[in-house]
Amino acid sequence: MGLWVKKLMKFSNHLIILSTIILGFWLDDSLNPLTIKLFLELNFGFLIFTYWVFAMPEKLHSSAALFYGLVADLLFSNVIGFNMLFFIATSYIIHLYVFRFRIFSYFQLSVFFSGSSTFYTACKYLLLSPYNYSYLVLILSFLINAVLWVGLYFIMRAFRRSIF
Amino acid sequence: MARSTPTYTPVRNYAISFFLSALLLFSDISYGAFAPLRGFVTASTLYAQMISRGIFEGISATFSSFHANKNLIQENKELKEQILKIRTTDFINKKDNQEKIQIINFHKDLINSLKNKDVAIYEIASIDLRNYLCCSTHRIFLRNDENVSVGKNSPVFAGESFIGQIKDSYLNFIEVILFSDFNHVLPIKSNFLYCDAKGKGKPMLISCKVNKTNKNFNYQIGDTVYTSGLGGIFLKDIEIGFISAIDSFSIDEVEVLITLKANPLEETFYGIMGEEADEI
Repeated sequence: MGLWVKKLMKFSNHLIILSTIILGFWLDDSLNPLTIKLFLELNFGFLIFTYWVFAMPEKLHSSAALFYGLVADLLFSNVIGFNMLFFIATSYIIHLYVFRFRIFSYFQLSVFFSGSSTFYTACKYLLLSPYNYSYLVLILSFLINAVLWVGLYFIMRAFRRSIF
Repeated sequence: MARSTPTYTPVRNYAISFFLSALLLFSDISYGAFAPLRGFVTASTLYAQMISRGIFEGISATFSSFHANKNLIQENKELKEQILKIRTTDFINKKDNQEKIQIINFHKDLINSLKNKDVAIYEIASIDLRNYLCCSTHRIFLRNDENVSVGKNSPVFAGESFIGQIKDSYLNFIEVILFSDFNHVLPIKSNFLYCDAKGKGKPMLISCKVNKTNKNFNYQIGDTVYTSGLGGIFLKDIEIGFISAIDSFSIDEVEVLITLKANPLEETFYGIMGEEADEI
């Protein structure tokens, strides 16, 4: 299999990862009605997915991204395909530059992942809700998600090490 | 010598997945290809919530009774407190029931005034609050416990006005598209305009674009807006809101913003009337 040995993951491990992503989207659904009044849109679901791909790129490939995206779309989205599309695209970019990311500082990582989540939010508004598109929401969400990503990174890392 | 970090990233799989996702997204946005599937999943989720709530209440009741058997003396004290609480709750329930009766009476009055006996009252099951407050999709789900057959696109009213139309029904739930949904169009009229008002994708707001005339539009702010009856779905001359702003949209057009009268966040009971209609 070339330079990487393809390692398959147990189905139960996929379920654990999927559960954390669903938990993230559920948090988004619960918190965003409150935070949107402050022009903030949280993206825990997306950030948790990117964390898993970043942490275990050799185990999470395109099929996993497609499947997680489909479940997220079915349970939390208004259209089928949106999360699938962004999960696939983000997964590909992370896979492409994963070793460069490893030498990044936490600040650089949080800027990249928060930027990705802001792009995700921007596209969501542009495609599904253009009248509600707001630069203020994007800028504030970028800053808050950058801070949240650092905390999320350490929590998820501790969780990953205790489980896998 | 390697010029970049060696990675194993099969582009083909990602490309196939990307185009497949894009195709699904396009077909859903353009043609609503997966609307029934999403509706079914939403209805199933609501069912699961109701069932889990029932189980949780059952478990908590069992634990509380077990605990009560062990501590009968303690229970006596608790019962006395309970009596006091029940008295208070009873008082609140009475008030609540009075309000509910008032609401139901109001709906009955409205029905009588409209001379239409084909009306049923439904309780709200859920509102997609996140989308309602931030985005364009404004939908609510009503409980249809008796699984009554409802006509697609029938008008729905709440409070003192119409609020939307039936989009579809899944399992024992009815999906209602609100006037403020970006995809909803409602024929309206006021003293100076007739138009098809489109949902703004913002709570309680619809708008329509009209040609500029010699009239000074700013004098029309605050005017009451009614259903025009065009299309035959909504009854004519029902007040649905008022003109809250008039903005210049282009050289020839102005955008008239209408604030709706009924607020779905404040309503518990919704009435559905009429036979199956053809359009939204």
